[in-house]
Amino acid sequence: MKSARGVRPATGKVAPPAIEAAGLGWTYAGRSQPAIEGLTFRLEAGRVLLVLGPSGSGKSTLARALAGLVPHVLPGRWQGGLRVGELEVAQTPARLLGERVGLVFQDADSQLVMSRVDDEVAFGLENRGWPLSAMESRVPVALGDAGLAGFEARQTPTLSGGEKQRLAIADVLAALPGLLILDEPTANLDPPGMHAVFEQLEVLARRREHTIVLIEHRLEAALRLADEVLLIDDEGHQLAFAPARAVGREAIELLERCGAWVPRAWQEAGAPEPAAAGRRSVEAGTVLLEAVGVRIAYPDDECGQHVALDGVSVSVRAGERIALVGPNGAGKSSLLLAMAGLLRPSAGTVRLRALPRKGEAAGPMRDPARLRADEIAARIGLVFQDPELGFVARTARDEVAASARVMSGRDRSADAGHDHGADGVLAHFGLGHLASDDPFRLSQGEQRRLSLAALALRPPAILLLDEPTFGLDRRGTEAVLRLLEERRTAGQAQILATHDPRLLPACDRVVALDRGRAVFDGSPDAFLAAPPYDPAGPWRAGVAAGVASGRATPQDVTAAREPGAG
Amino acid sequence: MSVLPTPLRPTRPAFLTRTTPVARLVAGMTWLLASIVTLDPMVPVRLSVAALVALWLWSGLPLRRIPGRLAPLGFAILSLTVFSILLSSANGDRTLATVAQFGPARITGPAISAGLAIGLRVVVIALTTLLVFGPSDPTRMADSLVEQWHLPDRFAYGTLAALRVAPFMAGDWATIGAARRLRGLQPRGPVARVRESGGRLLVMLISAIRRAERLALAMDARGFDSGVRRTHFRVLRTTWRDWLTIAVACAVAAAALELPH
Repeated sequence: MKSARGVRPATGKVAPPAIEAAGLGWTYAGRSQPAIEGLTFRLEAGRVLLVLGPSGSGKSTLARALAGLVPHVLPGRWQGGLRVGELEVAQTPARLLGERVGLVFQDADSQLVMSRVDDEVAFGLENRGWPLSAMESRVPVALGDAGLAGFEARQTPTLSGGEKQRLAIADVLAALPGLLILDEPTANLDPPGMHAVFEQLEVLARRREHTIVLIEHRLEAALRLADEVLLIDDEGHQLAFAPARAVGREAIELLERCGAWVPRAWQEAGAPEPAAAGRRSVEAGTVLLEAVGVRIAYPDDECGQHVALDGVSVSVRAGERIALVGPNGAGKSSLLLAMAGLLRPSAGTVRLRALPRKGEAAGPMRDPARLRADEIAARIGLVFQDPELGFVARTARDEVAASARVMSGRDRSADAGHDHGADGVLAHFGLGHLASDDPFRLSQGEQRRLSLAALALRPPAILLLDEPTFGLDRRGTEAVLRLLEERRTAGQAQILATHDPRLLPACDRVVALDRGRAVFDGSPDAFLAAPPYDPAGPWRAGVAAGVASGRATPQDVTAAREPGAG
Repeated sequence: MSVLPTPLRPTRPAFLTRTTPVARLVAGMTWLLASIVTLDPMVPVRLSVAALVALWLWSGLPLRRIPGRLAPLGFAILSLTVFSILLSSANGDRTLATVAQFGPARITGPAISAGLAIGLRVVVIALTTLLVFGPSDPTRMADSLVEQWHLPDRFAYGTLAALRVAPFMAGDWATIGAARRLRGLQPRGPVARVRESGGRLLVMLISAIRRAERLALAMDARGFDSGVRRTHFRVLRTTWRDWLTIAVACAVAAAALELPH
């Protein structure tokens, strides 16, 4: 039997390795441009490296290279050298690297394999041939290290987003990696989830048992942990490699250009708060959409039914922007679907102002669920969290023209006009060069902009958005907000379901949901001053942390890292 | 928003929850074989009764949720039975007495009994599947197939990972439908409807492939199928309960087949 090498002592910790890159470059098969090029740096053992760069700059490629997925699993062309400890990545079998390196991805749902928590943690150990007794003692320890002690028998689908991401961290910690790589681990999390993950990372970083490479947009929380910072530009070239303490004024400019969320206190005095730029008071437009006493209950096998919404009333006027906030599972998405007529409430009503007939000033209020698809498409647009799922065409140009085609029916003579209009829209949304590209091949930020562009030729009176800034860096967020602002000044009513406290100042009103009930309806300032949640609850702590990273003065960080002080 | 119902899980420990999945698989196969080797409708009736008793006493599954779970099969069973009766070759046999006549369609006694047997087979298959897969989660089935039957890891755990992704696909399907309705796509007529479903399916497949790629990469990163001999966190051993389950299942199958003689 050749299994002898599979047995290894459970206590055999791998010492944290140093990382040394010398002119590292990688070009994916089928691409002409390298994803990363000429990266040269040395990270000492047991230190924390923060990798910063705009979306699509090759940060994930560096993570994959460190884990050996590049060049051993994914095809492409390798340049230069990369050493993890004494191992040269390009010459080391992926299996050997895999024993020393743990990689945590952005989307927790597509990295968990098993349905029970302890099976999930053991999966990586089984793959590496650990003996049973070692696994039995290691699994609970790894869960404890990730802040999930006692979760062994839980079913993974029942975990919250933050818990799932910490489980993914437990998975890689279990195998005792010397090098821990986290690729935007909080990009898809709500504030409480993000907070919990960062707390856990801080504990790990302080122990100095791992070399950690962290890829993250949220500078405020991430810089606190980092020893060194690596900056990468749009083309995957290295801009800087410097101690985190030395991040000075010129570095901040670089960071801003990279699309990172730079803490407010670091910015030049008087620089506009990006989210607040378009804020203004509401003029009393007509009510375009209202929900009154809406109750939504899903059938649930365990306890009869799950009440997603219970007596919620909201109305939105022309030219008004409402932020819909609340913890995961509060009912935000259900409310959006109900207001778009896609979910029928079991009690209460939803009314949408239909197009006025000739000679009338305002149209009648109608039930959106009873409208034909083309009628409702003319009034309401909904941008889903995952814009990909809403695409209907094979090119970006057709995607934009599709909505206009619905209106002109089967009249093919209008097509050329639509295509011409679509090109103009794409140029305006900064997507002009991608007109003939497949919508599914665009980056996350480009897809989000395309989903907004698709509504532009025939803008709906009401726009509903589910997490419009999920996974976007600051540049992406600003681009989306700018486009929303243009529409709003033209009188569009907008409702944004969001976890992102940085968007609140750009809204006229905040409606907060908690466990299916509306618990707040008022100005963003009043909301931020006193979030209407259980003060001991994690959501409020998360809001506080999120607000701090975008708006408030982060005393503890600036004290240590005054701009230019390093 | 979940489209798929939550999976049926045992709510209490029971005899079958302590058996290994492959033992239940073997036991279940004897009943499936017994129900398909004969066209006597009494055989599937007896097996169905036995399966219900086993579900009630030994499966640990919550009984009141079972009818709801099997309801979608009702229509399939009904239509299968009716068409089997209508299209039976026994209807063409002039030596048999006519039981009923619908216009040109003539129905004979043997056709009815054969049709019932075919419909009831589906009932047996459904109940037996619940007995085989219900008492433990899919992970244990994969463990059992790999450890006891030595199926390849890549096959068993790959299938398991795919199963875990299924609920996300169901969610995607609903979201895609909603998104397309809001884009103004409402097909009129059967041809447009089929074309629209095609478009919807394509988007779902693209999204499923993306998800699968990410999952495969994550599994690779955790050393799956990297050439190391895999060990097992859950050790499953064949016990007397397994042998007893198989023996009782064989006895019941034999009894169900031979009672008429």
